[in-house]
Amino acid sequence: MSAFKELTKGIFKENPTFVLVLGMCPTLAVTSSLKNAIGMGMASTFVLMFSNILISLLKDLIPSKIRIPAYIVVIASFVSIIDMAMAAYVPELHKNLGIFIPLIVVNCIILGRAEAFACKNNVFKSALDGIGMGLGFTLSLSVVSIIREILGAGQLLEIDIMPQAYEPMLAAILAPGAFITLGLLMALINIIKDKKKVEKE
Amino acid sequence: MMTILLPAMLLGGLAAIFGIILAYASKKFHVEVDPKIDEIISVLPSANCGGCAFPGCAGYADAIVQSGAAVNMCGPGGEEVAKRIAAIMGVSLTPKERDIAVIHCQSGGYNNTFFKYEYKGIDNCRSAATIAGGPNMCVWGCVFQYDCVKACQFDALHIDAQGMKIVNEDNCTGCGACVKACPRSLIELVPISKKVHILCSSRDKGPIAKKSCGNNTACIACGLCVKNCPTQAITITNNLAIIDYSKCINCGICATVCPTKAIEDRMLPRKKAFIHDDLCIGCTICAKKCPVEAISGELKQPHIVDQEKCVGCEVCVKACPKNAIEMVDINIPKKIAEA
Amino acid sequence: MAIVTKILFMAVTSIFINNFVLSRFLGLCPYLGVSKKIDSAFGMGMAVIFVMAIASAFTWLINQYILIPANMQYLQTIAFILTIAALVQFVEMFIQKTAPALYKSLGVYLPLITTNCAVLGVAVINIGEGLSFLASILNGFFGGVGFTVVLLMMAGIRERLEKAELPKSMQGMPIALIIAGCMALAFLGFSGLNLG
Repeated sequence: MSAFKELTKGIFKENPTFVLVLGMCPTLAVTSSLKNAIGMGMASTFVLMFSNILISLLKDLIPSKIRIPAYIVVIASFVSIIDMAMAAYVPELHKNLGIFIPLIVVNCIILGRAEAFACKNNVFKSALDGIGMGLGFTLSLSVVSIIREILGAGQLLEIDIMPQAYEPMLAAILAPGAFITLGLLMALINIIKDKKKVEKE
Repeated sequence: MMTILLPAMLLGGLAAIFGIILAYASKKFHVEVDPKIDEIISVLPSANCGGCAFPGCAGYADAIVQSGAAVNMCGPGGEEVAKRIAAIMGVSLTPKERDIAVIHCQSGGYNNTFFKYEYKGIDNCRSAATIAGGPNMCVWGCVFQYDCVKACQFDALHIDAQGMKIVNEDNCTGCGACVKACPRSLIELVPISKKVHILCSSRDKGPIAKKSCGNNTACIACGLCVKNCPTQAITITNNLAIIDYSKCINCGICATVCPTKAIEDRMLPRKKAFIHDDLCIGCTICAKKCPVEAISGELKQPHIVDQEKCVGCEVCVKACPKNAIEMVDINIPKKIAEA
Repeated sequence: MAIVTKILFMAVTSIFINNFVLSRFLGLCPYLGVSKKIDSAFGMGMAVIFVMAIASAFTWLINQYILIPANMQYLQTIAFILTIAALVQFVEMFIQKTAPALYKSLGVYLPLITTNCAVLGVAVINIGEGLSFLASILNGFFGGVGFTVVLLMMAGIRERLEKAELPKSMQGMPIALIIAGCMALAFLGFSGLNLG
């Protein structure tokens, strides 16, 4: 696949949240505001890209039987790095994201891409794949959080954008809103996919 | 320097300790797992779909090695995986042939069923079948809520425009999900090489069966098929003819004599056998195997097939050691002339 | 008596008020993935309870006696995930040898649990909330029970859902998420319940 395709496939065709249905936990937890969503997305992209690169570099050295623990250690190292960096440079975001930063380690997307892609391809392609998937993940997080933040707090990036008279829908920011928004978005994507399939035929 | 070395040593030490404990545990808690099981697991697609009717791929591998399950039950794996499992187990692949689902009922569509009442309820076959003996006039037949279609995980059962269920033989893996789903036990798993089926399950007496069948193809237990079967593969029990597939040779004679067309012959249009003179060595094996005695010839002389008597069962083709027999389409006279 | 009350309060807190799946958003992948049949849901739930309890214990010990004395709490993430991975592997081998029947029923799920956010999540939460050793184990145990309760409910609903006629776009994930949302709405009723 061409380099450009590797980069962009993660954004639409193989979007981790809507197509591969991976990484549900952060998607539902951090999307109560757009700021948190973008922050989480960027952190995940960082970890994804670097762990893909390192795993791809080491792929011939890691014996097959212990590859999963080895990948987990690599990913955990980068997560610790980004955790400490965020605590130092963006303490408020770090506080908002809370335990979900260390939980990036067990984000199925990262381990999934390492297992499915990085251990079989060269460094350059793995890096592009990581960036692409990370961007796709950030994009889907943003979409969900835009909906939730506008409906639930009348704000976007903490700037009031809904009229004064708008009574915020509290449920959208809380847990139920997360599940239902994501469910409806997935249904919408299914409709679009089916329409595209019918058009193709 | 120490700030880098210390954590590295700490983590390294932790990992080393875990590694040692795990290595020790893997020896101490070593279960004598037949290595073949692991080999088979690595060959299987790891989809854990359950189509083989075992709990996941590990369950199937276990069953193959310890309970002698068939090697070709993996639907998603298909031929390729079956071959590799057979190689691991050291068995040849041919013994168990692939089974496919056969539905023993020709009713069940919109235009070929007599209704007792219009069923409006949970669209579930089991529910429909329990209400007043089902919406179908024939109490043995299909109640068309399509539980079987819903149960199929391999996309092998479809509903056509007439509402009839069609089995896609290529996709069917013989997993048996539809067999379990049908409350009237209409579906049977049959080896794919068997092409003649009795498509009726009615145990009613002849006249009643005939009247109830919307397709007018009920088995009336007349016994003509039993009399004409060259291998005595058909028996009549409880007013229903049943084929014993281990004896059936696919000759299709029963299908031709059945007065209600309850028997389906999937090899139609039947071709006729033709023996190539130049290849025939006159061993007489084909003549002995022919169920209708359509082949004649002297020992060591080329044999000939009586095209009138030949039913196209293809038993001779398989039996011929020299592959001298070919099935030809008699409607194309040119083929016979040039052959 | 006070101890029993305390444990009871802890149970109610971990199972209902701060339910791991519906309030804390942990353990969602198996929740949406394994909840199609009640038997597999039950097996998964049991495995999760077991692993969460033991993982809480071990990670607490590692934190208390190795990371804190060495002043290296920043290695928490790596050390914890290593511990959990090794632990799950060990437990799998142990069960395979000593209780083959148990292994047959829940063995398949054990490797899946290594990457379950709920396990790492509960370990980090225990340390973050400064719980004692016993409290950590109980938190892990009851957290697992809460996960199982919600998982079984979801499995029961989804089994019934097989018979329903859904629009094609809603089938599978979307309707599962919406049901989860309704359940979350129900569990929201517990929030604000303060039990000492």
